[in-house]
Order: sequence, then structure tokens, then C-alpha cells
Amino acid sequence: MQKNGGMLLMTSNMHKKKHYNCADIEHLAQRYLDGQLDQYENKLFEEHLEYCLPCDKKIQFEIKLKEIVRIKAREQVPEEFIKNRLRNMLNDL
Amino acid sequence: MQKNKQNTFSKLVEPHLSSLYSTALRMTRNQRDAEDLVQDALFKAFRAFGQYKEDTNFRAWIFRIMVNTFITAYRKAVKQPQKISFDDMEEFFLFKRLDETVSFQEIPKDDFLDHLFDDDIKSALENLPYQFKLVVLLCDVEGFSYNEIAEIIQAPMGTVMSRLFRGRKLLQKYLWDYAKKRGYVTDDIEHA
Repeated sequence: MQKNGGMLLMTSNMHKKKHYNCADIEHLAQRYLDGQLDQYENKLFEEHLEYCLPCDKKIQFEIKLKEIVRIKAREQVPEEFIKNRLRNMLNDL
Repeated sequence: MQKNKQNTFSKLVEPHLSSLYSTALRMTRNQRDAEDLVQDALFKAFRAFGQYKEDTNFRAWIFRIMVNTFITAYRKAVKQPQKISFDDMEEFFLFKRLDETVSFQEIPKDDFLDHLFDDDIKSALENLPYQFKLVVLLCDVEGFSYNEIAEIIQAPMGTVMSRLFRGRKLLQKYLWDYAKKRGYVTDDIEHA
């Protein structure tokens, strides 16, 4: 069974709020970047970004960094590895 | 019968080879070990293919097998960094450091990320301790959800989140160190 009590507790605390402040944004940034906020949290998060330029800049920077890591960490599989080793292995299974 | 199983397995595996290899390369840090790791993982996966339930998440299943293979067979061979301090690990670490040194920078903060070399990013990632590197790769590069990562590494969601947080901050700290080494920024202002 999945143990995600921590996240549920965090979510319920965040649902008691009507607005998020800068500390909330810092607290929820990771889950926002990973698309793991629920609809309510996401709405309040983005509302804050609309009027708080410093927070918006931080989040835009994190989004860009995440994207750059994604692009630059990717590696093409060497064609020879697929052709020679993997296809042979898959055929011989 | 065996041929059918083999064909089904090959068709399911093919679209994920690039992702598996990419992750294996970052984890093992060299091409030869990465190729061996992918091959070992596929061999194990085929042997365990009977346990895979049709129409469930094959990508997470095959990654889980490769992660287990890495942990049992390859982890010890990968050099781990010495003791790491997480004292400085605040949210937005890199952004805040850049903010503090803005007047000393030769390039604007917004362009900073574009000036990082591919090798800097790869090296920063590869130098992370493997537990952190794994979750960062699975989340940021492969796009797995927290739930899927929890399944792949067989750990609670809270562990996934804290490793992600620490892994990303450490990655940012390494990038900051590279930027200083390359002279993109100067660290004349000491942060508290």
C-alpha cells in the first residue's frame, strides 16, 4: 500500500487557505513544478504568481532549469548497441 | 508459444530502449556498463514477463527491474561522493545565489541557464549520490509521477519527495560551483 500520509496532510492544510503567500509558494514549489498539486492548490498557486513578480520569476527560472536538465541529460542509444546486441539478445530469448 | 512471448515482449520494450539506456548511462557513468545494465535488465524482465499484468504500466515495470538490477549489481562499482552537507539546501538555491551576485555577473541572470554547457549539466547529474540521482532522472528526465517513482524505487511517497528536493538542490549547488569555476559568476558576496 502506498504511504502518502505526508502529502495528504500537506494538502489538507493548504486547503484551509483562501490565498497563498510567498512562503506557501516556496513550500509548494516542487509539487507545482512536477504537476502534483490538486486543482484547488494549483489555482491559488497561479493566482499568487499573477500578482507576485518575485515569486513568478523564481518559478519561471525553476521551470526553465527543469526543462534544460531534461533536454541535456537525454542520450541517444548507440545504433550499434541496438542492432548488434539488443536485437540479437531479443531474438535469442 | 515462446516466439509469441518473445514478440510481445520485444514490441513492448522497443519504445523504451532510449529512456532505459539514457537512465542507465547516467547511473553507471560509462557506456559499457550502461549497455550491460540494459541488457541484464531486459534479460531479467523477460524471465519475469509472466508476472507482468497486461495493460498495466509496462514502462514503470521495466524501469523497476532495471533499478533493482542496478542496485544489486552495479551500485557498488559506482564511486559515491564523500559526505554531503545539506545545510544550504533551501528552495530556489541557484536563483537566490544568482540574485545575490547580480552586480558581479557578466551575463544576465535570465541567460545564465542558456550558458551552461551540456557537460556541466551531465556532470552535475552524474555526481549526485545515486539515491538522489535516480529520483531526479525518473522525475525530471523521464517524466514519471511521484506515484510511479514510489513504485519503481519501492519507497514511500515522502521519501520520493524528500530525495527529489535534496537531489535538485544539490544539483543546483553543483551547477553554481561550475559557474563559479568557469567564471560566469563571482562569489564575492557571501550569503548568510
